[in-house]
Amino acid sequence: MPDASSAAVELRDVVKRFGDVVAVDHVSLRIAPGEFFALLGPSGSGKTTTLRMIGGFELPTEGEVLIEGEPQGYKPPYQRPVNTVFQNYALFPHMTVAQNIAFGLEMRGVPKEEIRRRVSEMLDLVRLSGYERRRPHQLSGGEQQRVALARALINRPKVLLLDEPLGALDLKLRKAMQLELKAIQEQVGITFIYVTHDQEEAITMANRIAVMNKGKVLQVGTPQEVYEQPQTFFVADFIGDTNFLPVQVMQVTAPVEVMTESGTRLTASWAEPTLRTGVKAVMAVRPERMHLYRPGSGPEGPEWNRVEGIIRQVIYKGLDIRYEVFVAGECSLHVRMPVGRSEGTFQRGEHVIVAWPRAAARVFRSES
Amino acid sequence: MSATPTTSTPSAGQHRLRHVLGQWLFHLYGFAGYAFFYLPILILVIFSFNDSRSVSKWAGFTLRWYEAMLQDRQIMLALWNSVFVAVVSTAIATVLGTLAAMALERYRRFPGRLIADITLYLPIIIPDIAMAIMLLAFFNLSGIGLHIWKVHFFGVRLAVPISVIIGHVAFNISFVAVVVQARLAQMDRTLEEAAQDLYASPWRTFWRVTLPLMMPGVLGGALLAFTLSLDDFVITFFTSGAGFNTLPVRVFGMIRKGVTPKINAVSSLMLGFSLLLVTLALLAARGREERKVGFF
Repeated sequence: MPDASSAAVELRDVVKRFGDVVAVDHVSLRIAPGEFFALLGPSGSGKTTTLRMIGGFELPTEGEVLIEGEPQGYKPPYQRPVNTVFQNYALFPHMTVAQNIAFGLEMRGVPKEEIRRRVSEMLDLVRLSGYERRRPHQLSGGEQQRVALARALINRPKVLLLDEPLGALDLKLRKAMQLELKAIQEQVGITFIYVTHDQEEAITMANRIAVMNKGKVLQVGTPQEVYEQPQTFFVADFIGDTNFLPVQVMQVTAPVEVMTESGTRLTASWAEPTLRTGVKAVMAVRPERMHLYRPGSGPEGPEWNRVEGIIRQVIYKGLDIRYEVFVAGECSLHVRMPVGRSEGTFQRGEHVIVAWPRAAARVFRSES
Repeated sequence: MSATPTTSTPSAGQHRLRHVLGQWLFHLYGFAGYAFFYLPILILVIFSFNDSRSVSKWAGFTLRWYEAMLQDRQIMLALWNSVFVAVVSTAIATVLGTLAAMALERYRRFPGRLIADITLYLPIIIPDIAMAIMLLAFFNLSGIGLHIWKVHFFGVRLAVPISVIIGHVAFNISFVAVVVQARLAQMDRTLEEAAQDLYASPWRTFWRVTLPLMMPGVLGGALLAFTLSLDDFVITFFTSGAGFNTLPVRVFGMIRKGVTPKINAVSSLMLGFSLLLVTLALLAARGREERKVGFF
């Protein structure tokens, strides 16, 4: 199987049903060796169930899970070449840190001397040397997290599965652990499959992201692709902040043209393939791609969209200033402008032009 | 607060008086409760040292009733029988009860789950006498009878009252299962998944993770079963064949011929034994709890 062996993990048309509920709905994925792959979605999107099927804790109702080209079939977790970092760490409370980390090697009958050596290597890697004899309840959340990581990595699995491993940590520690995890992954070169509902976390850490909702994978791509070229309304809405303008489709072939409810014509770089001329849709634009200008100035031409509005709210955020602009008869737009631009800052109540390039605009079927 | 002083508000002095009175009554109530429970026991113990056959008049300190008890072969044999039945039935009931608890906790949904629950709890709530009569009928109908098996065990001749042991196991399974189930219910299932994820087969997962974690429940259940077995009169009385006495049954036989301080001595001995077991159980539980602090 020359082709299959190139993927660390492959899901082929996997379905998981719990009674009448379809938790995972025809998911196919290929994850390359050494990749940091994120499964991103809201709770109930099927991301954890997908991970559990790779680990062997759930068996697919339909379809197949392959690890390094080998179909896993009904193999139980203890026969799969993967290890898991659980959401609540699941450290054994009746064992010391060293015993916890050694558990996997011990189960596989690795000689005692080698176990001792590798445990101390692992403790070095996660910077917990000297903690051998402590018990899990004597550790902080971040330390428990690192023990859980060491306990999984010591087995040198082909793939490491991580189920919201940072979910229980406070924000500051989480940011630090994100960078640490990423560094460790690059150091050991093991494929990571990382489940999270935090889009910022996924974008920070992953090489590729699969966005899931209602059991389906909606889009797979690099963080940049997923952020800049969302394929569905859900992805555009779930990842980052987005302005949605209600519009009517005028032309679906490039250049895409739409019309706002008050009759302003706008142009976009892409429209969802299922859209037809005349139907209602939404135009999505990121707040940082929109610019404010004083009336009578700013870029013009076929590549640019312009609407008039009134500043309703000004919020200073340090790095940038966020404006809420009311567009008559339409909606409110959120605009993010870096501090220190030549136009200076705008005041509440000021009339402005909101402009954004065609390349920054995408048109989706509206979902409610 | 917008409360203004009015004539209807009690003064500070009245408040204080009420408070003190309330405290005092509360303490009195607690003390009365303790006295109600423990005064009879205290009297029983005191009169086991009474140098007279009377159980109401104090005539000086003696240990002669304890001496008489130790020299009474019937009592010593009954004590041995009690301990033997308790040890054997507790061992069997602990294994079976733990397995039952695991099955019920693991497989929460199956047809007949309610019936399984009811049948498990039944021996706890049904009167001893009903259970005793049912067991007696069962032994007669099944042909097991009320025999005493004579067994040679490493050169020691043992009298094994098979019907009594089965009877004790029958009610003790329920108590063990209930205690173990309570422990299992608060155990984190992902710990077992973690063990399996780390290459432990279900068998090794049980020995290395599940059993150590549910051990406080298993020990607690076993201790409870042991105490109940040691203490049981009704079921033992109905299911033991002729000539087989446990300590409670023997005491009952003695009491029919009149209460003597020897019975007090036997009772004090059993009391002391129970006290020891309860203390051990509490100490074990406390040790576990201290270790758990900060974990959840």
